[in-house]
This record gives sequence, C-alpha cells and structure tokens, in this order.
Amino acid sequence: MEHLNAETLARLVDHTSEPEESAHVAECEACSAELAALRSQTEALGSLPEIRPPQGDWQPLEARLRSEGLIEDAGLFRKMGLAQTPGWMRATAAIMLFLSGTGAGAVLNARGAPQPLGGLAMRAGPTSFASSANVEDAASAVRLAEQNYVTAFARYQELLISESGIEAGFDPMSRYAALEHMAAVSQAAVRQAPGDSFLNGVLVSVLGEREATARLVASQNDWFDGRESTTQLVASRSNWF
Amino acid sequence: MRESSEGLSEGQLIRLAADGDARGIRTLYDRYSPRVYAVVRRIAGDDDLAQDYAQEAWIRAIRALPTFRGDARFSTWLHRISVNAALQALRKSETRTKREGPVPEQIPVAPRREDALLQRQLERALDVLPHGMRRVLILHDVEGYTHEEIGDTLGVTSGTSKSQLFKARAKMREMLSVLDGAAQENGAEAWSI
Repeated sequence: MEHLNAETLARLVDHTSEPEESAHVAECEACSAELAALRSQTEALGSLPEIRPPQGDWQPLEARLRSEGLIEDAGLFRKMGLAQTPGWMRATAAIMLFLSGTGAGAVLNARGAPQPLGGLAMRAGPTSFASSANVEDAASAVRLAEQNYVTAFARYQELLISESGIEAGFDPMSRYAALEHMAAVSQAAVRQAPGDSFLNGVLVSVLGEREATARLVASQNDWFDGRESTTQLVASRSNWF
Repeated sequence: MRESSEGLSEGQLIRLAADGDARGIRTLYDRYSPRVYAVVRRIAGDDDLAQDYAQEAWIRAIRALPTFRGDARFSTWLHRISVNAALQALRKSETRTKREGPVPEQIPVAPRREDALLQRQLERALDVLPHGMRRVLILHDVEGYTHEEIGDTLGVTSGTSKSQLFKARAKMREMLSVLDGAAQENGAEAWSI
C-alpha cells in the first residue's frame, strides 16, 4: 500500500481510521512517525499561551469608550443628573462648564482649596454669561470666562504642587488620550452646530493642545516599547480630522 | 481606586462595568485582555490589525455588557464576541495584503522557557497559513470549537470545516518541517515535532 497522504493523516489525528488505514500505519514507520508529529502539532496548538496586548493599548480604547459614552464620568455629572446623557453631550457640557468657571469652582470646592483664587476674583460667571444682551457681550463673557478658567486652573495646579510636592495628575499620555477624547466630542458638537463660533473655538483650542501634547509625548518616547513610534501613533490618530 | 475594584467578585465587576464604571471596565480589561488579544491576533495574522480588532472586540463587549445574563461564563461570552469581531473585521478588510508576505520578526508570546521555540514556530506558521485554513485551524485546534460551531460562526457546512481543518493541519506540518529544517541549518535548537 502507498503511504497515506497528508490530509488523511491529518484526519486520523482525532478521527477513527478505516481498517486498512490502521493496518498501514501499524506497519509503516514513516506514516506512523508523521501521524505522531501531527498529533504533537495539534496538541501544541491547543496549548498556545495567551498574548499580552502591546503596551499602551488601553489608552486609545479608553478614549473610544469615553467618546461612545460607555464609560461614565462619576461625580459632577451624576450629581447633576446627567449620568444617562450621551457621552459627547456630557463632554461638551464639561467644556462649557469649565470655560464658564463653574467646573473650576466645583473642582476647587471639592478639593477644599482656599478661595479666592490667588487673589483674582472671578470676573464673569454663568450668570453674566447667560444674561448677555447681544453677541458682543456674550463674546466678552466667553473671553472672561476663559481667562477665569485659565487663572483658576493655574492656581489649582499651584496648590496641588505646593501640597504634594509633585505635579500631581500630569501624565502626558493620559493627557493626550483625554485631549483626543475632547477632540472627538468637540468635533461631534461642531457637526451639530457648524456655524457656532464658540464650539469651533473650543475645537481649535483642543486640537492645538492635542498637538502640543503629542509633541511632548514624542519627545519623551519611553512609553511605547518601540513597537510603533509615537510619531506614527500620533499621526494615525491625527488623521481623524 | 483600581485596587478596590480588583477585590470585587467577577459578577460585581461586570455590573460595575455595565454601568459604565471606569474602574470596573479597566479591571475586566486587565484580567482578560491577554485572552482577547491572543485570539484576535491569531485570526488577524499581524499586530496592527490585531490592535484594531481587539479594540473593536472590547467596544462590542462593553456595549453588550448590560445584556450579559451569566448563562455562560463571562470569559466564554467575551471570547465569542472577540472571535466574531475579528472574523467580521477580517471579512471587511478588502485591501488586506495576502499571506505570502514576509514573516513577522517577532511575536509577543508570553514566554514559557521549555517550548518557546515551538510556540514561535507555530505562531509564524499560523501567520502565513491561507485565510480560510487559518480560521478553521485556530477555531478548532487552538480555541476548541466543534465543526458545528465553526460552521455556524463562519457560515459553512461542518463538512467544509473538516476538509479545511485537515488541509490546514497538513499545510502547517509542511511549513513547520521547513522552519525546523531552517532552524537546524542555522544551528538553533531543533523542534522535535
């Protein structure tokens, strides 16, 4: 009898053989050895180990989970009854809250930071923002709110550093992931209201910050294990816009 | 805060994650990402695609978490989602290059000293196996699917699944013999299969 072909031997790994096949394998050293090798191969395939995902795999996943509203941001939003609001709307709301000063105040109060902030009183708040009589007033209120936010956040960072001695919470990669998320939700907001200068301004600011952070991450370049350059990663993400 | 999540039971973690709790989701990810990545990596055949497929699998799983009722083990449920996500994504990738491309230099397999060489050889051979054969071989010999399950998953008959499996095993054997021969020529430790 001729040797059994490779596919027949592959079948005999875990299927019953015909009598003539069994007889041949029992007598033929080559086919017997080949069948044993195929059985070892199959056993080895079933024992292949798990594979660790590449380092840094979580951050883009987290950003996407947030952008799709699959991760809830606890705290402020739940307190405000916004936990069921779609992710992009909550993120946009967060931007607006911070720009109007409310968010900064909420954070500061939650952390027990002293008031006023570095001697600079809030010059515009949600009330003045809402009561603007015309577009120019509203634009001024936005600019003031932005200034207040920047001032408040700078003071917040100062206080954190003075209390802990380190620049707490600053991780360039996390910041990049967060900015990526903000860019996605800002873009979604602009799609909803393409002519809205405020939303466009937010988007431009976020994109600028994202690029600056990307450069910072690229300059550090010690978090990605050499599998894909940071520049490549950032470039691929930047293609979103 | 992640430390406290790690002390929770799997059921508690799943409920937290289904509610969108970041710590719950991260803990599930840390626990199961090697399993998810392993199956999508082998189906994808390369690292870049595998990262996309793994992300898609996790997004689908987290999205579907509220529907998980515990009839099957969570790992089994997640595994099925991962397989389906990877297979569906693979079907969609029309511009994908054929398997005859260069063999990847390195595959990040968790090291096991005694048979690291064997694992590398197997992973390399899997990567260059033709698509249809590879899917069936991975699902049957690596993941333990039956031919009926493979038929349901891939939309083929169980007879086709068997036929592809036997061809795939034979092809793997042929490729591994070549790799083993090359290893011996280069003075590396030979694989005894």
